[in-house]
Amino acid sequence: MGLKRFIFRRLVEIAVIFFVIMTILFVLFRLAPGDPVSRMVDPSMTPEDARLLMETMGLDQPVWTQYLYYLKNAATGNMGISFHYGEPVSHILMNRLPNTILLFTTSIILSALLGVFLGKIAAWKQGERIDTLMTIGALFCHTLFLPWLALIMIWFFAYWVGWFPITGMVSPEVWIDPDAGFLIKALDVLHHMALPLMTLILIHFGSYLLVMRSSMLETLKDDYILTARAKGLDEKTIRDHHAAPNAALPVVTSVGLSLAFSINGGALTETVFTWPGLGRELVFSVSHADYPLAQAAFLLIAIVVLLANLVVDVLYAYLDPRIRY
Amino acid sequence: MSEKFFSSPTPENTPCPAANRHRSHWVERFLDGWSVYRKNTIGRIGLTLLGLFALMAAASFIPQWVNPIYHPMTGVDPLISHSTGPSLRHWLGTDYIGRDIFSQLLAGARVAFMVGISSALVSILFGTTIGMVAGYAGRRTDLVLMRLADMIMVMPTLLVVLILSALFGQLNIWVIVLMIALFRWPGVARVIRSQTLSLRHRPFIEAARVSGASHLRIIFRHILPNVMPLALLYMTFRVTSAIIIEAALAFLGFGDPGTVSWGMMLQWVWKTGHMFQAPYWLLPPGICISLITMAFYMTGRAMDDVLDPRLRKEETQA
Repeated sequence: MGLKRFIFRRLVEIAVIFFVIMTILFVLFRLAPGDPVSRMVDPSMTPEDARLLMETMGLDQPVWTQYLYYLKNAATGNMGISFHYGEPVSHILMNRLPNTILLFTTSIILSALLGVFLGKIAAWKQGERIDTLMTIGALFCHTLFLPWLALIMIWFFAYWVGWFPITGMVSPEVWIDPDAGFLIKALDVLHHMALPLMTLILIHFGSYLLVMRSSMLETLKDDYILTARAKGLDEKTIRDHHAAPNAALPVVTSVGLSLAFSINGGALTETVFTWPGLGRELVFSVSHADYPLAQAAFLLIAIVVLLANLVVDVLYAYLDPRIRY
Repeated sequence: MSEKFFSSPTPENTPCPAANRHRSHWVERFLDGWSVYRKNTIGRIGLTLLGLFALMAAASFIPQWVNPIYHPMTGVDPLISHSTGPSLRHWLGTDYIGRDIFSQLLAGARVAFMVGISSALVSILFGTTIGMVAGYAGRRTDLVLMRLADMIMVMPTLLVVLILSALFGQLNIWVIVLMIALFRWPGVARVIRSQTLSLRHRPFIEAARVSGASHLRIIFRHILPNVMPLALLYMTFRVTSAIIIEAALAFLGFGDPGTVSWGMMLQWVWKTGHMFQAPYWLLPPGICISLITMAFYMTGRAMDDVLDPRLRKEETQA
């Protein structure tokens, strides 16, 4: 089966890219001014603890041995101890990972769906007022500065109207309450997620709408649409079942291409809304000089982007039967 | 991109359409493109906005010349010690230590142009060179360069620069510009490469090769002029992304502390907790970043229409 081999080949590629990124990060951590050891071992640790940590990370060894230790530790998930939290980095990040994935995937899927849906309509009504409105709206939303939009959303919806909580992911009182069932907790998270999600969707759907619109305009010129018309199918069937599925393929490609952009935006959104995810942890650790946490958070985000790329590629192969790897 | 724009109507008869062209051809070509561009509403709006921002940038030296209390960075109004709303003395109010927001806004326009254009120039330089070399050399060079491009393309630029500023401390604005440029060339390189691939076997290139031109000469004298319009188009898109990344970086508190950029202004309003009380401070920088992004984007889209004769034809038909 071609697809399986394709996935395998891509996984090997991802492993190679990840290996290169890790190596570059290792070199950078040693090139930067200052003492490399102080970057992995908390200066405020007791000498015994520090020595123990240095031994497990191989920091008392020559650089080449350090590199091997580094690879081994990364493979086993032992990325050091956070200066700020005093906990193993992997614990903290594994806690944050699901939150990021929740926000990231929901926002991408919803904005792509919205973009496809609106782009379809805009192309169908090409040249009419609704098309002009949608194109201008998409262009406008697409170029908004994300952190600013996030602040405006908080200011308007959380502070002024007061519909949503200002920051965070959960309300503590709901989670302490032993009577609160799963549904109530889920609703609480959704309530907190609404604003960051809306912000991300507003930023992202515009470019998908524009891609879908121009791709749909191309598709509508194809012969098989003419055939469908000649068969006497009604307009809605032609639009939704003949033109739209094919026209949506470039949107999938564009989702893949904008993944790095989306994760940037994710980090900014998480920071402004204090959503406890990987991006916020990275920004936080960088501003608090928490090097082990910053390093591990960056590597984990890199893995997330690479795997998300793979998912998009597989999805593309699945959606487009003409593509066989 | 169709071949029509990049070469004279009969490329087979002229040995090297672009390189041997007289200078007036360039002017003619520019005027030709301009006459198409002028008819594009989106392009006109974009250029007008850019003109306004350029005026702002040019005017950014005036306030501190009128009175030192209007200096965007060091000018503190002695009568004001906290953020105040708009008044005749301070058109857009003052920030938390009494600096004039309007003059900061003007200075921000200068920084945005500086960051955007210099960073875009560098990334276009890299992208065009690498794209042309990859497309022209082919085989292993092509493979290695494009794999490198793929790898850099999946990296979130903002987070990479974040990590670097964690390691190397506060980054200077020019280091930030260079960093953004170094991570934003792959997209350009891909497009230029495919354009080069389509040029590589054209008669005028083969003629140059047969007459003994070196590879470097072919790349820079014969291929470069033909990929130039495309590179210029991509420059407008790179300007936007550079401005956004610098603004986001400054917003998170990792900008150059010696410059007043719009991102920096947003960071101040956010970090000092004025976002709910001071809309006169929160709104202007965000609107400016969004508008300048939109202006460059619109200009780019309009240029795209000029460069794509297929679209031009449709436009005249409609």
